Amino acid sequence: METFNNFLGGTVALFSDPFGILIFFGGVIGGMLFGAIPGVSMLTLAAILLPFTAHLSPEHGIMLFSVIYCTGVYGGAITAILFNIPGAPENAPTAFDGYAMTKNGQAGKAVGAAVMCSALGGTVSAVIMMIATAPIANWAISAFGPPEIFALVFFGLAVASSVGAKTFWKGWLSILAGLLIAIVGLDPVGGIERWDFNMPYLLAGIHFIPTILGFFAVTEIFVQAEKKARGAYQAPKLSVDFPSLAELIAHKVAVIRSIVIGFFCGILPGIGATLAAFMGYNEAVRWSKDRSEFGKGKLEGVISSETANNAATGAAMIPLLALGLPGGALTAMMVGVFQMHDMEPGPLVFINSADLVWVVFAAMFFANLSILFVGYLETKTIINLLRIPFQFLAPMILCLATVGAYAVRGLTIDVIVMFVAGAIGFFLRRSGYSVAGIVLGLILGRIGEQTFAQAMQMLHFEWSGFIGRPIALGLIIAGFLTLGGSIYGAFFKKS
Amino acid sequence: MGNLKTGHIVEAAIWLSLTVFLYVYSFEFDKEIEIYKYGASSWPRAILLLIAIAAIGQLAFHWKSGDGAGTSMIGQATADSAEDAAHESHHDSARWYAWTFFLLAIPFVYLNLPEWIAAAMSLEKPGLHTVKLISAAILVVIYLIAIRGNHVGGILALPILFGAFLQDFGFYAMAPVFILGVMYLFGERRYKHMVVVMAGLFALLLMFFVSLLYVGLPTGNISPFYEFGTGLVNILQ
Repeated sequence: METFNNFLGGTVALFSDPFGILIFFGGVIGGMLFGAIPGVSMLTLAAILLPFTAHLSPEHGIMLFSVIYCTGVYGGAITAILFNIPGAPENAPTAFDGYAMTKNGQAGKAVGAAVMCSALGGTVSAVIMMIATAPIANWAISAFGPPEIFALVFFGLAVASSVGAKTFWKGWLSILAGLLIAIVGLDPVGGIERWDFNMPYLLAGIHFIPTILGFFAVTEIFVQAEKKARGAYQAPKLSVDFPSLAELIAHKVAVIRSIVIGFFCGILPGIGATLAAFMGYNEAVRWSKDRSEFGKGKLEGVISSETANNAATGAAMIPLLALGLPGGALTAMMVGVFQMHDMEPGPLVFINSADLVWVVFAAMFFANLSILFVGYLETKTIINLLRIPFQFLAPMILCLATVGAYAVRGLTIDVIVMFVAGAIGFFLRRSGYSVAGIVLGLILGRIGEQTFAQAMQMLHFEWSGFIGRPIALGLIIAGFLTLGGSIYGAFFKKS
Repeated sequence: MGNLKTGHIVEAAIWLSLTVFLYVYSFEFDKEIEIYKYGASSWPRAILLLIAIAAIGQLAFHWKSGDGAGTSMIGQATADSAEDAAHESHHDSARWYAWTFFLLAIPFVYLNLPEWIAAAMSLEKPGLHTVKLISAAILVVIYLIAIRGNHVGGILALPILFGAFLQDFGFYAMAPVFILGVMYLFGERRYKHMVVVMAGLFALLLMFFVSLLYVGLPTGNISPFYEFGTGLVNILQ
């Protein structure tokens, strides 16, 4: 009852403030739009807006970012489905079947499924977030230390190695390439420069936003360019036949499974929606009777991925608000918003700024709900982007990506890094490597190394210490079993 | 040789060479950390070892199965279509790769050569700018000659060249040329359409990012490009 009263209080505070309403709808539409425009993402919008939040109140600043987070995760699915350009890494698995559906003339159905499942996953996640923040945060604090987080990263990478690449080995090489890129810069324990080749730019590490833009948006343009050069480019077929309710009900098990997976992954600091989407997708494949249909345009693939990544958004706020640990790039920017207002996210926020917390919770609930209505209207407009000939769309995407990469830090070298990443991604993709694997390795690499170092210090450099931690041990065993299964498949099963 | 092809061996050789190169460089940061007995180099070396194992595993897989896709792999459709596109368009020959890598090297020549020339001739800033202008003009001509018959290589190199020119010539002067270049390389030949789309797109970008969001895009630092960029920003903001 207290939760409900707090929620009502947050709702009233949100909708009785005209400027708050303006920011809420600005965030809803901005997140969807930036998520949906090929070449930019919610991270681009957040990076552009970050300096301006200093002029907003903390409630408005955090609320704006949380709303952008919810709708941006959904918006990224649109480009993943229509152009094979995931708006963010968490939309990468959506592209596997979503883009295939577009090529099969079922773009509308795929986008419609993304609208419904994103709204459903996000809204359920927001409700659970409100009810269970305190007990789950307490459990995570006591149960998940660095060994468990490292084990989860290992398990996540083991699962991701079987996604997107042509062979198991190429899947692993993709992830390892991402881990390698993540090493460049200062080491997380001693601050020692690694592989900087005396270039000041590399000291701060290779920024993930230009890299992501390069590997996804720019690589896709290059791949389309090659198709165009041999006269094989085909504009995706248009359709606006949204899925029926019966079709979605038929996938209810996948939806529920993805909500559970998404929420569980989202709550763990540093893991967030990316692993949620990959695991949601992977579990859908694992439980499917007809695995061979995945990757060729199966509706369940889109449903699983989109439900899971939006289910992670609500959960990702728990470690941020309760522990001060960001779960991903956008929640890390939220820490920046807090700091600009001389605040630190963490347990004290619940005591000192309870109003802020409940306004944010209410805003996230309504933002997810609004995907259902605003998303439908916006999607019907955005789907018309497909009518633009690619020779006109390509420079638009490349220019937007240029602005996005440059806006993050104001460095032209970030633009060069993005285009070089695009060229590398082009060569790797045509050789059967997974660009999604590289990006996942890049994002989880630093967290993996940091938590490994902390875990080893905690366990006094005794590897046997993992045995005494059942959750970590279970995850590591699960990771090795996944690996073993993949190696067996690579060598002993017929292609 | 089993089912191995030259491409498989080259692929493995690239990974293994990268591993050896980075392993050698890892000695530069092979330092002890008081609170962490594995030091700064253990994690990178472990990753390198895994890369070497995976590269050899990949080679063994090709030796046994040739070009076949692995079992239980998810979402390979995209990768396969990209690979097929390369084969069908004959963009996987050694000559094509050499040509493309030559094109890709042009932006990096621009990023380094003027600095070396200016240092060798002890030139001040105005002299360096002149060298950059001349170098850029020469490299653009070389690029235009080299893309004849290799439009894909041209598209790969053009954005990097655009990125390399941004710092000196600015977004405002370079973006229109870049937009026209991309459209041309994508096969558009209706020049009126190209100019209209370029003008519309450029205007939209400026209005949204510069006028509305006040994003500071690079103005360049070489005259007259710098004056053009800052003049445009003054008008828009």
